[in-house]
Amino acid sequence: MDIAYFPGCSLHAMAHEYDTSTRLVCQRLGINLYEVPDWNCCGATAAHSLDHHLSVGLSSRNLALVKDMNLKQMTTPCAGCFNRLKTASVELKQNDDLTAEIEKLAGISLTGAKEVEVAHTLQVIMEAVGMEGIKEQVIKPLNGMKLAAYSGCLITRPRAIAQFDDPEQPVALDHLLQALGAQPVHWSHKAECCGGGFAASDTDIVVDLGGQVLEAARQAGAEAIVAACPMCQTNLDTRQRAIEDERGIKYNLPIVYFTQLMGLAFSYSPRQMGLNRLLTSPTTLLRSRGLS
Amino acid sequence: MSADFYKPMRLNEIDSSLQEEIKKVCDINVELCMECGKCTGGCSNAHIFDYTPRKIVQLVKLGAEKTLLSMDALWTCVSCQLCVDRCPSQINIPHIMDYIREKAHRQGVKTRRINVELFHDLMLNSIRKTGRVAEAPLMLNFNLRSRQYMKDAVLGGRMFLKGKLSPFSPVVKDIDHVRRLFKKIADNREG
Repeated sequence: MDIAYFPGCSLHAMAHEYDTSTRLVCQRLGINLYEVPDWNCCGATAAHSLDHHLSVGLSSRNLALVKDMNLKQMTTPCAGCFNRLKTASVELKQNDDLTAEIEKLAGISLTGAKEVEVAHTLQVIMEAVGMEGIKEQVIKPLNGMKLAAYSGCLITRPRAIAQFDDPEQPVALDHLLQALGAQPVHWSHKAECCGGGFAASDTDIVVDLGGQVLEAARQAGAEAIVAACPMCQTNLDTRQRAIEDERGIKYNLPIVYFTQLMGLAFSYSPRQMGLNRLLTSPTTLLRSRGLS
Repeated sequence: MSADFYKPMRLNEIDSSLQEEIKKVCDINVELCMECGKCTGGCSNAHIFDYTPRKIVQLVKLGAEKTLLSMDALWTCVSCQLCVDRCPSQINIPHIMDYIREKAHRQGVKTRRINVELFHDLMLNSIRKTGRVAEAPLMLNFNLRSRQYMKDAVLGGRMFLKGKLSPFSPVVKDIDHVRRLFKKIADNREG
């Protein structure tokens, strides 16, 4: 399967390990990722917060670039980028007036861009490969590791845009972890918000919302939280100490990307999967399951 | 919270122009609101909002534009999309929030959360200049501009040791295209 790949700004910087693990895992599963040449930032929270046209315009340029690659599908492992790209794609398809305006502002034709379909990498893996296909690749099962599958907001919401899984009780990530031999826990916060783009600008919000997520995972007996978004991972990992200080509880919960765990199960080393780059170390957990 | 909000409502003073505007520009019909409050029940940040999502929809119906443009909730909404998915009438509240915030930003309405607005502005500036966001330089710039010189200094050190902070700013080759988009949008606004 050939598909255009949009890493987004985070995967080229803080979330480098998410990029590397996604590429290796997809390669193993027969999903050929072709990075969109010269892609630009999706605009993230900033663009849609302050300027609707800018937000759609920035994503439209990326969609047009995919069309130039002669590909019809694009995937991104970032839930934020996914939300912006797919929102733009849906708006272009539904609103001809807006499309004409954006074409004028950006100075490009969007006829081809309208045909491009966008999906989060979790969706691509689950739909193109599925649980059985993943199981076939597992060499080192995760030995019943108790994991909190954390979908967060934007992989499944808003439902009219995402068109994937259940918006509040998502199961795709749990199924994927089961296929790897892990034991996903039942918990209350799998689709709650971590505080998203407020990491720097209003840290209290992230400490508050992220704290609720960590607490829910702890209460459910999770040994780690599994993320599918660089913002969720960064917020829960980098703010964990601040959350611990505020709540007076030591969580010590590693926040791991689902692709890192897939890679481990496919017998890549923890270092190849960049597990050494997490602030909250997963080493003890991995050793307890004979994976390190 | 504004004391005016609790004054008895005079129906002949209600202005429906904002409601009409949102219907026309955003294709959102707030008249479909049944005031069930499911949006507020699901809202991630209702506990710190000055006006909850259900009240915000009512304020649109009341044409209380001034209140909406200056409300704190505009800058603390995390865009988690829970409200729209729970709404039985599928009223796209996050889109209403974006629309009003954009308007407040253009009109230069002051917010108490200046740092949130500043961060958005700096991020868009980075995209205008290079086409992408370089996280570490953006954070540093934000700390300087918001005068929080020691913010996250310890965390920054830990992240640096993990190789998470790259000092480089990647640049899109066809940056003229991206800048044109920014310029045309700015021109459109002024014109």
